Amino acid sequence: MPSGKDLRELSDQEVVALARGGREAAYRELIHRYERPVFSLIYRMVRDRALAEDLAQDTFVKVLNALDSYRPEYKFSSWIFKIANNVGIDHLRRRELDTLSLDGAPDARTQDEIAATALQAVDRTESPLAELESRELGSLIEQAIARLRPEYRSCILLRHVEGRSYEEIAETLDLPLGTVKTYIHRARHELREYLEPYKE
Amino acid sequence: MDVTGKPLSEQQIDAILVRALARLGEHAPSRSFADRVMTRVALPQPRPVVLYHRARAWAARPSHALALAGTYAVSAVVALAVVVPWIMARLPAIGFVTDWMVTKAGALVRDGVVAVAEWSLASGLTDALRSLSVSGVGFWVAGVALACGYAGCAIGLHVLLRAPKAKEVVHVRA
Repeated sequence: MPSGKDLRELSDQEVVALARGGREAAYRELIHRYERPVFSLIYRMVRDRALAEDLAQDTFVKVLNALDSYRPEYKFSSWIFKIANNVGIDHLRRRELDTLSLDGAPDARTQDEIAATALQAVDRTESPLAELESRELGSLIEQAIARLRPEYRSCILLRHVEGRSYEEIAETLDLPLGTVKTYIHRARHELREYLEPYKE
Repeated sequence: MDVTGKPLSEQQIDAILVRALARLGEHAPSRSFADRVMTRVALPQPRPVVLYHRARAWAARPSHALALAGTYAVSAVVALAVVVPWIMARLPAIGFVTDWMVTKAGALVRDGVVAVAEWSLASGLTDALRSLSVSGVGFWVAGVALACGYAGCAIGLHVLLRAPKAKEVVHVRA
């Protein structure tokens, strides 16, 4: 039976197979692999840290309690992102919440919370000046993303932040491939428009 | 503006945008996230353990267990004391009616087959089919048309019976 270290070397499908057999370590490995991407996706949709944690938790509970219905011929990442996206969209639909945060999350009260929830776009190889510019640009982009329509937001985040292919996004979001390409094109256009005043 | 002071082109802005998007960091949930998820996840358990837990759950709710057991017992008593003797007493009659129904159904099927056979002979369909030549073009055209029709019906049924896949997209503006 593979140990925790071995689990890290297995594919998603293999870990799911172990989880179906009742191995708690396999469940924890799946959470470990996807907690950051799933939380980031939902957080960028709802812009509220506590709420994003709750929704990410709901996503994982849904996924892990329904492992038996997972079909291994599909990518596990597509499946979990699909559920995360649906959870986020459902929440926005219920609350019609589409707010914009200027610096950090709207629920951030203290300086630490603001710093913790603000943009984390850091390239360690950059000079301090470049890092500052990168932070500022990243911060602007985070704000711009928060203004996008939810479906544009999901597409652009999956494409450019998570690095998913167009086909995977189409599968994840249950959208035709052409629609995904259009949404990404329009999202980039809207982001460019938003950044227009800052380009100098 | 770029380093030379020229305004940035749309392509340059796009490239910067894509690069910046790719460099957006990941947000991390709190450290106890995995533990909190695990408390809400039901791990699959071996069958005996599941049965044991179910028995314990029933034991914790004696009124429900008694109601269920009582219902089973009453059903069993009614079945043994009323239904079974009633059936046994009328077994010959039930057997006669069953035989009659089977005979009637058989006769109906036979009559139907005979009627179709007579119609095919009288209408000349049989002769037409006999006159068909396997080497003739008409035979193959008819065969292909039949196969296409059958395939079309199958595809149509598949499309019609498939569950709808359309997804509502929410349009929420800031």
